[in-house]
Amino acid sequence: MAGAKEVAMVTYRGIFQEVEGALGMYSDGYRDQSALLDLDGSDAKALGVEAGQPVLLETDSGKVVVAAKISEEPHPGIAFMPSSPWSAQLLSGEVGEGGLLELKSFRAKVSPASPAGAAVTSIEEIAERIRAP
Amino acid sequence: MAICTGCSLLCDDIEVDFEGGKINKTMNLCRKGRGHYDSLCIDRLAPAVDGSEVGIDDAVSEAAEVLKGAENLLLFGWGNSTLATQKAGVELAKKLGSAIDDPSSYSQGLITEKILKGELPTCTFDDVRNFADVSIYWGDDPSSSHPRHLSRFSYFPRGEKRQRGYEEDREAIVIDVRKSPTADIAADGFFKIPPGGDGNFMEALMATLGGKIPKVEDKKKMLNLGTKLRKAKFGVIFTGLGLAHSMKGELDGFLSLVGKLNELTRFSVIPTLGDYNTRGFNQTLFDETGHVNSVSFKDGVDHGPEFGIAKYLDACDAVMVVGSDPAAVLPAKLARKLAKIPTVAVNSHRTLTTDAALVTVPIAVAGLEAGGSALRTDGVKVEFDAVVKSDHLPDVEVVERIMEAV
Amino acid sequence: MVSVMEIYQLLPKTNCKKCGLPTCMAFAVGLLGREKTIEDCTPLVEEPKYEKKLEGLRELLAPILSADATETGMIIHTEKCYGCGNCVVACPVNVANDPKGTAIGRGPVSGKAILMVEDGVVKCVNVDQCRRFGPEKVLCNACIVTCPSKAIEFI
Repeated sequence: MAGAKEVAMVTYRGIFQEVEGALGMYSDGYRDQSALLDLDGSDAKALGVEAGQPVLLETDSGKVVVAAKISEEPHPGIAFMPSSPWSAQLLSGEVGEGGLLELKSFRAKVSPASPAGAAVTSIEEIAERIRAP
Repeated sequence: MAICTGCSLLCDDIEVDFEGGKINKTMNLCRKGRGHYDSLCIDRLAPAVDGSEVGIDDAVSEAAEVLKGAENLLLFGWGNSTLATQKAGVELAKKLGSAIDDPSSYSQGLITEKILKGELPTCTFDDVRNFADVSIYWGDDPSSSHPRHLSRFSYFPRGEKRQRGYEEDREAIVIDVRKSPTADIAADGFFKIPPGGDGNFMEALMATLGGKIPKVEDKKKMLNLGTKLRKAKFGVIFTGLGLAHSMKGELDGFLSLVGKLNELTRFSVIPTLGDYNTRGFNQTLFDETGHVNSVSFKDGVDHGPEFGIAKYLDACDAVMVVGSDPAAVLPAKLARKLAKIPTVAVNSHRTLTTDAALVTVPIAVAGLEAGGSALRTDGVKVEFDAVVKSDHLPDVEVVERIMEAV
Repeated sequence: MVSVMEIYQLLPKTNCKKCGLPTCMAFAVGLLGREKTIEDCTPLVEEPKYEKKLEGLRELLAPILSADATETGMIIHTEKCYGCGNCVVACPVNVANDPKGTAIGRGPVSGKAILMVEDGVVKCVNVDQCRRFGPEKVLCNACIVTCPSKAIEFI
């Protein structure tokens, strides 16, 4: 049964992501390694999401569409996302009491991307959002 | 032999062949380092003002104008700059009475500061290779970000007192929220914790080390860990962003744990820092001001989170970003603030930040096109020469030219 | 790892003996041991009705038949390799042959190392020195268990 789910999000860095980033932040390679979400198998099932399907991620700060991946290792209720301009769209910019900007851990709503908005958000669009007046 | 400035390990045993300006063959360079080397001829930055390409001299003088005209200037970046450039940057900040900061203000700055202050004991990677018998990777996945960490220093190689390497003489412990590639290697030594659960884990470990029963589900595993740590002759904790962010700037629990471990045996801390010379900037600024980041020279020396980029973007009216891409990392709201502020971007490559900048000034890639020196993440100084000719200016020269022009 | 059953399912299963072996199962074993090639099964390669099976079989066996496979049955999936050097430093042959290089975590210096990182990924040379090769072979797996991405496997 498809729907939406709130999950705890944790960002991480992957080696191939960083290699592709070095070879060009605007490349398809970087997008393919960064614009993705590692979902727990049972969470994906509950959402009606299959590997490779676009999913919409929403927080109070923004939203992006990325490609879903299904993890081998179980981690229900938690989803992992590469630290990238895509994950940055979802962060609040809050600075904690200890003076540290929250960059790693937050909550987001995950749902299958509707057919109309089914393409993974492009880096060009993110750059435009950053530079928009 | 060349050096790699792809990460803070600063591997210096790299063999590289060039053919017609392109990389032909490399030896000993890891996948990430090879990406860094290959990027030499990809997406290089051109000097430009307001989107139009200009000559380098014009770009430098325009940059100086932007900086001169600012009331609340921020000089940000520096993690990918040589020691000489960082020193010049601090001088520039003092000259202009500006704020100066680096990405450590939203990464491991606090841990690094404790180490530089002597509040957290540390050692070098050479000590680790020669003596360490327990390596703990806490919220750290060096296999992905610093690929040769385990093979050059922390787990696999033989050392003076560790002649049998990882097979008999070393243990790897990984504490993380997911089964990272490093956790995969540690196998039985992997402790999976929930996000934000580092504090609880530290408490449980403290209890164990104090001879009490820990409040965890798998008591046996925790008690075994306690025994292992107590028996260690030379332990090292490698910290990563996972730990730094979980502690949210409140390090007392970690300091207590490391203190307790050092009552029982010897344990050091080495942070796995991103950017090849983050340690260098933290040390340089610390030597000058007693702080590792978030400093303002407007009125003497001031320090606090208000001068870190996350908060200072509200106050500042011009920014110079050197060797960093905050627009790609900062939360969208902050990246948008940055895009609205007149920015000078000094960088080797085109990035989201350079695309949003008013003035762009290209620089050479250190370690390949320009020589210099840097501090490895364990604090050891590494010097390097250029191995390939380039028309790009070394970053130290750009900063010095800007300093002359202001 | 590819199994004999997986290979068998992609063969004609007619036991026509055109490959020189009595059964398709025997041929599957021969393929896995690389004593036979796919082309030895002429019906599979020539008859249009087996086109899908042929495609599937080529895909299944690609890593085994590629130039990466060595006589020890070692396959390096270079697309997965991190170039981290764990296998290079852990390899007992490297340790013995290169005490001043790979044994202490550096790049090879003796010229006798059998695993090294070239162009960002691991490469195997002088494979006859690997402990899994030769009359006194042992099931050494140092390069497998130390890999963060399962880029090395033995068939």
